Amino acid sequence: MLPQRVIEQLIDIVGESRLLFEADDLQRFGVDRTTLWQAAPCAVVLPGTVEEVQSIVRLANQCNLAIVPSGGRTGLSGGAVAKDGELVVALDRINQVIDFNPMDRSVTVGAGMITGHLQQFAEEQGLFYPVDFAASGSSQIGGNIATNAGGIKVVKYGMTRNWVAGLKVVNGAGDIIELNKGLAKNNTGYDLRHLFIGSEGTLGLICEATIQLARAPLESSVMVMGVENFAEIVDVLTCFSRDLDLSAFEFFSQQALDKVISHRGHTEPFKTETAFYALLEFEHSSPDILDKAMALFEHCVDVGWVVDGVISQSQSQAKNLWKLREDISGTLWQWQPYKNDISVRISRMADFLEDVDQLVMEQYPDFEVIWYGHIGDGNLHLNILKPEAFSVDQFHSKCVNVSEEIGQLLAKYEGSVSAEHGVGLLKKDYLHYSRSAVEMDMMRSIKRAFDPNYIMNPGKLFD
Amino acid sequence: MKILVAVKRVVDYNVKVRPKSDGSDVDLANVKMSINPFCEIAVEEAVRLAEKGLATEVVAVSVGPKQAQEQLRTALALGADRAVLVETDESLEPLAIAKCLKAVCDAESPDIILMGKQAIDGDNNQTGQMLSALLDCSQATFASELTLDGGKAVVIREVDGGLQTLELSLPAIVTSDLRLNEPRYASLPNIMKAKRKSLDVKTPDDLGVSIAPRVTLLGVELPAERQAGIKVDDVAMLVDKLKNEAKVIS
Ligand SMILES: Cc1cc2nc3c(=O)[nH]c(=O)nc-3n(C[C@H](O)[C@H](O)[C@H](O)COP(=O)(O)OP(=O)(O)OC[C@H]3O[C@@H](n4cnc5c(N)ncnc54)[C@H](O)[C@@H]3O)c2cc1C
Ligand SMILES: Cc1cc2nc3c(=O)[nH]c(=O)nc-3n(C[C@H](O)[C@H](O)[C@H](O)COP(=O)(O)OP(=O)(O)OC[C@H]3O[C@@H](n4cnc5c(N)ncnc54)[C@H](O)[C@@H]3O)c2cc1C
Repeated sequence: MLPQRVIEQLIDIVGESRLLFEADDLQRFGVDRTTLWQAAPCAVVLPGTVEEVQSIVRLANQCNLAIVPSGGRTGLSGGAVAKDGELVVALDRINQVIDFNPMDRSVTVGAGMITGHLQQFAEEQGLFYPVDFAASGSSQIGGNIATNAGGIKVVKYGMTRNWVAGLKVVNGAGDIIELNKGLAKNNTGYDLRHLFIGSEGTLGLICEATIQLARAPLESSVMVMGVENFAEIVDVLTCFSRDLDLSAFEFFSQQALDKVISHRGHTEPFKTETAFYALLEFEHSSPDILDKAMALFEHCVDVGWVVDGVISQSQSQAKNLWKLREDISGTLWQWQPYKNDISVRISRMADFLEDVDQLVMEQYPDFEVIWYGHIGDGNLHLNILKPEAFSVDQFHSKCVNVSEEIGQLLAKYEGSVSAEHGVGLLKKDYLHYSRSAVEMDMMRSIKRAFDPNYIMNPGKLFD
Repeated sequence: MKILVAVKRVVDYNVKVRPKSDGSDVDLANVKMSINPFCEIAVEEAVRLAEKGLATEVVAVSVGPKQAQEQLRTALALGADRAVLVETDESLEPLAIAKCLKAVCDAESPDIILMGKQAIDGDNNQTGQMLSALLDCSQATFASELTLDGGKAVVIREVDGGLQTLELSLPAIVTSDLRLNEPRYASLPNIMKAKRKSLDVKTPDDLGVSIAPRVTLLGVELPAERQAGIKVDDVAMLVDKLKNEAKVIS
């Protein structure tokens, strides 16, 4: 419970209607898309300006109140979970377009802007915001930056980091800082902007962001191909990316496709059933590109990697093929999946896949395991579905054991225990498989420099 | 039994079309073009009849520019046996297309002519009906189900307030509605095979058809933009706005 005095001070800052205590507000703002923790914030505050954010952070420092920054709460690692009486600071109201500059091809927006709205704004200007994934209709730019979100276009456009030209933040000490000011070149020492990208709310609150926009993409085609052997997806990837500039390369298993088709009513890409499917997209950058793609497909069939395939003939078909991949995460929700979001370098993918596959078969003989992911970036989403007979706790403790083994395997392959979802609460016990003890110490020192009283999202990322 | 299926090249369903800056027509420069969705359904239906052994040959026909070959190749990849393009760069009215199709039908003598109920570019919903008049044959528009029964076609049509079942003698024209079927994707192996299928190109002159336009397009403009909605704070404010601003209640 917040002391009455603090409540009054918060109301002074934001106004009475912007401070929420109702049970369903606490529930709604207190958890992200993970299902492992119970929401228990002391209150939710909705500031409308950067100055209000600053006042809240200063107040929190005075009364030693922990803050959980909240974006769209689509996170999958528990980063935006407030389970220990923290104050949730939700950026929802700081969501305006502040400045659009066509000459710089950049736009400054409030961090609470929904990702999809930024994409739409860019499109209206004849430009393109290329970070996209199935949650972009709910996630916020601030949350994307705080997690350095990836998504389905990383092969061509990279992660959120590539598009952040400037930030206005309030650090844990309560200072308002402008980082990089939208400059393309700025070699004036440490680039603190990049420390905030991927910081998961542990250094401060991102309030505004200057986002670089891309040129609008050309018309594109989507191909879906059936592949029998896990490791050969990598061969297909190598083959296509050698000759084509891909804008996406995704994969999913037959089980994933079955579930999406039966729950969403989509049409299968083709009748031939194969163990895995590769989905790729490329832009029509030259007149002969379709012939080139066709020749590559033929080659993949000739050497025996690919069994069957389709290519979109219209934008509707392209969209529908994408749904087969994009709807997987949402479809799996009902099984309360334990999600692994792991990555290795592409060159190590084939061997790694073989090892993980074997590990999973040995360790989860009676669990349903669903594979999919952004394989063009070396990123696999390994989802383990909860059998009905298991309680959440039982299931979780079983998965935790296997995560240790996957962690060891990742350490051996020099991979990452979190490719794009962030560490939050879910992965912090495995962080040491990807980061050395020295690195961990340095990260703690950095946190101390921005957040001396340890009020920003404590317990997330590391203890 | 031979099926002729008409295929039109149109602006892709997902493109937001804009008028040209001088308002003289829709701007089609660098716009994605695709097979008309209703024609795609017609092709699918024809191919399914062939797969069931009910049709012996499926001929896809398009009237349009040279690039309409792309849409015909799609139809071939979906399973049509061969294709005919009546090539012209003229702007085409439904009657001109119907006349060209009539000439092709005269040469091909199909038992069933499958077409889309309308093309999403002009939304005219006229070509099938006009072709039926020109050929003096039976027609069933807005089909949601098609079965062949002996020498007859039985069609369930979507009409206002329900469904109507028609029995047609052949030859007959059937135009597809959205629920007739769900078209398959063009498979890559079939796209490759389609490259080797025959695609005849003719001109309206070859067919002895005059396609001269009878309608002059005066201009194209965007519909008036809708005003964004506003949020009201409470019921009292809503009532006040309805009374005093919108003046819809008193
Ligand atoms: C169906 C589905 C598909 C997804 N697909 C992808 C995918 O392909 N790629 C991918 O990368 N992710 C994916 N995600 C995960 C998630 O959408 C991203 O991590 C997203 O960036 C989170 O944004 P958010 O606004 O919802 O953040 P939240 O969940 O609200 O917060 C995430 C973290 O950021 C912090 N935070 C939020 N806002 C701020 C701020 N303004 N200042 C400081 N810290 C802040 C929070 O404290 C928390 O630690 C997916 C999620 C779902 C549900
Ligand atoms: C004719 C000319 C043209 C130039 N044009 C450009 C240009 O177009 N763009 C541009 O960016 N710069 C330009 N420069 C500047 C310079 O060449 C660059 O800054 C270059 O990157 C410096 O590299 P260096 O190896 O000479 O570094 P040094 O001059 O030796 O060192 C530069 C800094 O880096 C540190 N340092 C050097 N090596 C290491 C190391 N291994 N580990 C840690 N710290 C290290 C040094 O302590 C020093 O602080 C130009 C210079 C000249 C003379």
